[in-house]
Amino acid sequence: MENITKKIRAIAKQALINKDVDKILGWKKGDLWSESYPAFITKAEEADTLIWDLFCINNLSKFLIKELQKHDKIGIFIKGCDSTSFNQLLKDHRINRDDVVLYGIPCEGMVNPEKIKKIMLNDRVTGIKKSENGFTLTSKNKTKDVSGEEIKYDKCITCISPNPVVYDELLGDEVKNKEREEERFKGVEEIEAMTPDERYEFWKGEFQRCIRCNACRDICPACSCVKCVFENQNAEISGKAKTEDEDSFFHIVRAYHVAGRCVDCGECARVCPAGIPLDLLNRKIIKDINEVYGEFNAGFDSITPAPLVTFKLEDTDTFSKQGGK
Amino acid sequence: MSLDSNIANKNEEFKPLIVAFCCNWCSYAGADLAGTSRLKYPANVKIIRVPCSCRVNLNFVLRAFQHGADGVVIAGCHPGDCHYSTGNYHTRRRFSLITNLTEYIGIEKERFKVDWISAAEGNKFATVMNDILEDVYKLGPNKKLRDARWKI
Amino acid sequence: MKKILKSNLPELWQKISADFDLFLPLEKNKTLNFSLWKEGEKVNLDRVRTNASPKHLVFPQTETYLKIKNENKKLSFKAVKAKGDQYVLFGVRPCDVESFKLLDNIFLKDPVDTYYKAHRDRGTIISLGCTNPEDSCFCSSFGIDAGSAPKGADIAAWDIGDSFIWKAQSEKGQKLMETIEELFTDIDEKDLKNLEEEKGSIQENLKDLPFNSLDLSKIKGTQQEIFDKEEIWNEFSERCLACGTCSHLCPTCHCYDLCDYKGSSHGEKFRCWDSCMSSDFTLMAHGNPRTSQMQRLRQRFMHKLVYYPKNHEGIYSCVGCGRCVEKCPVHIDIVKIIKKLGGENNEL
Repeated sequence: MENITKKIRAIAKQALINKDVDKILGWKKGDLWSESYPAFITKAEEADTLIWDLFCINNLSKFLIKELQKHDKIGIFIKGCDSTSFNQLLKDHRINRDDVVLYGIPCEGMVNPEKIKKIMLNDRVTGIKKSENGFTLTSKNKTKDVSGEEIKYDKCITCISPNPVVYDELLGDEVKNKEREEERFKGVEEIEAMTPDERYEFWKGEFQRCIRCNACRDICPACSCVKCVFENQNAEISGKAKTEDEDSFFHIVRAYHVAGRCVDCGECARVCPAGIPLDLLNRKIIKDINEVYGEFNAGFDSITPAPLVTFKLEDTDTFSKQGGK
Repeated sequence: MSLDSNIANKNEEFKPLIVAFCCNWCSYAGADLAGTSRLKYPANVKIIRVPCSCRVNLNFVLRAFQHGADGVVIAGCHPGDCHYSTGNYHTRRRFSLITNLTEYIGIEKERFKVDWISAAEGNKFATVMNDILEDVYKLGPNKKLRDARWKI
Repeated sequence: MKKILKSNLPELWQKISADFDLFLPLEKNKTLNFSLWKEGEKVNLDRVRTNASPKHLVFPQTETYLKIKNENKKLSFKAVKAKGDQYVLFGVRPCDVESFKLLDNIFLKDPVDTYYKAHRDRGTIISLGCTNPEDSCFCSSFGIDAGSAPKGADIAAWDIGDSFIWKAQSEKGQKLMETIEELFTDIDEKDLKNLEEEKGSIQENLKDLPFNSLDLSKIKGTQQEIFDKEEIWNEFSERCLACGTCSHLCPTCHCYDLCDYKGSSHGEKFRCWDSCMSSDFTLMAHGNPRTSQMQRLRQRFMHKLVYYPKNHEGIYSCVGCGRCVEKCPVHIDIVKIIKKLGGENNEL
């Protein structure tokens, strides 16, 4: 990881000195050992503050929309999931490929500080290092070995695109092992196995915690509408009241609005302050699309039209008695 | 199996409210045909005429359930016969996903039906409406996704 | 001061919930929040911080205040009273107890917000000392002692290992203690010693926290000078998503919007939480008072660090709970802002 950090700093410095780009989007270290955050730099001297570590979870691609309105050319460091988001933004005509220089970084998965806290409980961790079989956590009193699976984000464990699918320059070797991609739909299948009433109770309990902050929508690369349907108070589609029907309405409609364009980056579930497993909604739609209309991974390229934008004459459906599945 | 024979106690009579989105060119005409042919279909089906079945989106369906519908039907032209050529191809894909999504949220799949009904299929229209009414009657009133503030 | 063994807590919860709505930190689907306790539910008092702050108990996220009916073309209006029963809130950390005081300064000042007052008066607040503060805690920067008996709590409590010590501090607290006395025992010398040890250990833990170097007195500049530091505000607002997570989780944020709801034959006027970070905050007919995210972000932090102290004798509108530090999707938080404005003791 230190190697990648060195490469990132060298590339950023050079690109800014040569004026190849006006701005670089990367990550910086925060105050806490478990915090790395999105950093935008315009001066070559700032390049030495960029880092690459186990906490660079933020998907930077969506920032390109706003930044390209202010600058002509931007360099951005992207992981696998970030690159699929980038392709989706291209497909949605939000940004131009020529305005961006992509520095791709193959990613083995990021670590979730919440999971570490749950394992170590009140033994405050001060550092983390990679070890032979996973990671070693250091706290005031002891060290503890954990496996990658125990502390990585769930979305990273079932990741299908650890390597950037589009880039101008690739830093580091490609990741060969996709840990558990066949378990991608396990959560969805568990819910599908419930009775309708159990399913409703499950989702009701989840949506009850929703604080209507819209963080999921604001971080989603597929949600880039200039005026979101939920912000249009005059249209009387949705209100700000926190009631059972309004909360469920928001999430169901948003999941459907990104159907076929969701790249499964998992950021929505990560940023939810109430811990709602939103990716289970999006993954259900992805699973259905795969089963009924052919396997489709949004964002793997920027050309294939999304499943809901096209159709085939010989499509089947899931609802009518004849001709359906 | 007629509906009337199922109503045992008049005080506890459950009158299901079914909202049917019917496309103007095929299924709405099919509904007209059912009427003129004097085919029996329940009075508690409220028809909303739309230009094409693909005009209907998820908001409409959820809103229907929020405001008290016990069941929702979307009826369009058969694939290949859309008045606007390609509308119902989009309906087909869209509602394959949406019916699954509402079922995933916990709405019983019997409450939300999508089907193709042509202008000549008055019989099919009556059958589809009777069938969903029967299924919904067995399931009882829908309490899910309800807007508690809608009716005082 | 009285003591209760941890093994007797389920009985205590049962006794209290017979007469009150009892709100405890409950973990549901991996998330810890103050929720209404029902028999059998497991209480989690190990983590110091709940996900959402307890402010929703005195300031609900959505509250209807007026109902309008349309009958025979005549409109009738009915004021809706604040809803809820007497409640007991246990496990509130000193930071959140202080936040209630900060909200009181706003809502209980003339003209009094009758809804807030009703919710506030109905509650008995029981604080709990923070045995294991988290990395992101910085209550001490605001003069809050995580091991203390905070003044705003009706009853103060501490965890001394196998039992809890409860100390009534107000009339309300005393009244509650009288109804549950039989489950408590008197404390002895050993208990007092354990309590002193617990308080000492809390202070030790607080000393180790990474944000100890914060010193707000070191923030220099007049209101206008801080306002004009656009380079700082731009640096943060560049990545701000305008989502509103910070405002909704913050125990002292209290802005709300007044909205209309149109029903089948009636209407409702209600108030709901609003975030000054969203682009339609205080949107008026003539337009938007703050058109850029930089202006909105600046306003929020100026309010917390400059305007509120100016209007309230130097008290900051932040209690150092650390929720914004943990939950901001792009890691903007008040600690970074305070440091950037110079509020740090660099010798530490």
